Amino acid sequence: MTEVTDGVAVARVLAGDVNAFALLVARHRDRGFRYALHLLGNTQDAEDALQESFLRAFRALRRCREPERFDAWFFRILVNRCRTGGARRKTLEGRELLDPEGQHAGRVESRADGFAWHDAIARALAELPPDQREAFLLRHVEDVSYEEMSVLTGAGVSALKMRVKRACDTLRDRLKDEVPE
Amino acid sequence: MTADHELDPLVRHAAEALRRPVAPGPGFDTRVLAAVRAEPARGGPIDWLLRPRPLRLAPIAAVGGVLAVAAVAVLGSWAMLRGGPGRPAAVVAAAQPVRFVVAVPEAHTVALVGTFNDWDPAATPLRAGPSAGVWVVEVPLAPGRHEYAFVVDGERWLPDPAAPAAADDFGASNSVVTVPGSS
Repeated sequence: MTEVTDGVAVARVLAGDVNAFALLVARHRDRGFRYALHLLGNTQDAEDALQESFLRAFRALRRCREPERFDAWFFRILVNRCRTGGARRKTLEGRELLDPEGQHAGRVESRADGFAWHDAIARALAELPPDQREAFLLRHVEDVSYEEMSVLTGAGVSALKMRVKRACDTLRDRLKDEVPE
Repeated sequence: MTADHELDPLVRHAAEALRRPVAPGPGFDTRVLAAVRAEPARGGPIDWLLRPRPLRLAPIAAVGGVLAVAAVAVLGSWAMLRGGPGRPAAVVAAAQPVRFVVAVPEAHTVALVGTFNDWDPAATPLRAGPSAGVWVVEVPLAPGRHEYAFVVDGERWLPDPAAPAAADDFGASNSVVTVPGSS
């Protein structure tokens, strides 16, 4: 069966087939949610940011100049939406555990150890300044190049490298006593 | 490719944990699709009229440009009276032309990005103004607060030195323009 590419899905939506947007949502939802959750720190804010980003993407779909690269275009919208939300909120109180149900922890660690480890990561992330948390997540979790990060964030590459380095240093300090067995 | 080789083993372990798949709660897709379906109809002449685009106002054509802006206002009023397909009439009536000017003598290209064009560097290019190194664009904006910045030569973001800075925890230097009127 021929796969419907993002470009084809975008074309269908622009032709009036709103249902084709469901394919784009299903395809890019989880990565977007992961980024928003780790940056904003709780499920509700992450879902709000993600939903609003999809809505913005739908409204602006005609401006998506490379429909086959819908993922990169959409991610830029999400990154900016998360910045707006994060700045508006200012504080990141009430951060949730990264794996509250322990659904993934059992794969590599005992549930109890995994729970504590994920909790430690969530707390360490929350302590990072937002610009460092953003840079760390983009580089080392979402695998975005520094050049792409510069386009996404508007910051220069050297500034971004500095943010990532400081984030790594802080995370290492915060997590050194939390290593799982 | 992930730059794991750059990482301290402990931080790499944390990054691996953060890369694990997570998904929004059940019903998320349904909510998004419901919100999308609730959007006004797209693609008609009103949609075209409302789409943000630069209004090119070369000095020689200034009078014509003013007339063009007036024409947009008149058409907007007509659309408000006529009513777009599912779009609130107030949105049609409220957009006002806002002029952005910045001096960047060394630039080859300057673009305007902001909350009004999804931060798309390709959406709103500035044109060289009457004075050397000065770049200008005029865009219709709805009343309210808009954050924006200039993108120089496709890569360097620049705040507007003549505008208030947006409060931002992300090291960004966006600017703010507030368009008066009821939104």
